[in-house]
Amino acid sequence: MPERGSAAAMASLTWIGIHIGRWASRLLLYPITAYFLVTGTLTRRGSRLYLERLLGRRPTWVELFRHLHCFSATILDRVFLLAGRFEQFDVQVHGGQLITDQIRTGQGCLLLGAHLGSFEVLRAVGIIYKHLPVKVLMNTDHNQVTTRFFDSLNPDIAATIIPIRGPQTLLKVKESLDQGYLVGVLGDRVVENDKVARCRFLGAEADFPAGPMLLASLMKCPVILFFGLYRGANRYDIYFERLADKITVDRQQREQDIQTWTQRYAQRLEHYVRSAPYNWFNLYDFWATEGKPSIYGRVRFTRHSGA
Amino acid sequence: MGDKSPLELEVAALIIETLNLEEVKPEDIAPEEPLFGEGLGLDSIDALELALAISTRYGFQLRSDDSENARIFASLRALSRHIALNRAK
Repeated sequence: MPERGSAAAMASLTWIGIHIGRWASRLLLYPITAYFLVTGTLTRRGSRLYLERLLGRRPTWVELFRHLHCFSATILDRVFLLAGRFEQFDVQVHGGQLITDQIRTGQGCLLLGAHLGSFEVLRAVGIIYKHLPVKVLMNTDHNQVTTRFFDSLNPDIAATIIPIRGPQTLLKVKESLDQGYLVGVLGDRVVENDKVARCRFLGAEADFPAGPMLLASLMKCPVILFFGLYRGANRYDIYFERLADKITVDRQQREQDIQTWTQRYAQRLEHYVRSAPYNWFNLYDFWATEGKPSIYGRVRFTRHSGA
Repeated sequence: MGDKSPLELEVAALIIETLNLEEVKPEDIAPEEPLFGEGLGLDSIDALELALAISTRYGFQLRSDDSENARIFASLRALSRHIALNRAK
């Protein structure tokens, strides 16, 4: 993910967006994307590795450009979505009845998405526009300037974020689920020391975080998948799809069961990736497994022998 | 150093049983060593699972908005002390 190098670029992009409006700033996306493409070596590599897997051949410069352009376009749109400027967008919701029905039960559920397209379109439509009981689990520590900026755009939406911070993070999620909230989580990006489940994805093995399925199994709550795909111009499609009413896990073979459920998620993710290829925003070597902790990370306990 | 009270041994056993730490024995967990991150290396999922087990066994809930959380989760000793103060069974 080009978080570090492009944090400044993202900040300037959002600043421009606010000041000159969506259509004018979209024109600027072309030179900005071109600049990114030329200077962002790591981002470009991440994009190329992904497109190679997807297409089965080396991507052209035009394809790399389209990928990064899609990425910057959705970043720019965050500003307008979180500021509640819905008149600028054409958003189609597919499977929305699932959400209505779930809320009617009063039971909390996990909304599981990915770094595919736009998380903000869901937050904006769900929280600002429809006032649904939604909270989202987010890492807010790595980019505090951007986070503060978005908080200032819409303080209401800021209050719906559960920051990933410390051991009590998932206690907060539990309490929200107990109160009947739908809690949004992205299930595709492994961070250091995560428990992982190795899944087949676009023809090769990749590590996915095991956390979301472990969480759902502990909470015995339903899991609904969501994807907010950017379709170009001002169009977004939001998809909801039920993955499970309950994630049941046999304690004797928990790793195995969690892997099976995570694989189901990866399969549906692959389906949506193919439907909107340039929406994939894990711009690093997603399939790299070297140096990652083994499943469940229990090897860490061997360190304890000196005590 | 390393001497544990009966409750600390009991909580250590609960941690091991709940989290399936097959290769760890209750006496292996140093009472003052961090449980999360460094030390025992537990994470947020482990914390949730542990909180659910504590609620079943000791009859009270660990709360996310408890300002003492950093201290409560700091070590086996701190967690056991918190349990001793709040347990309903």
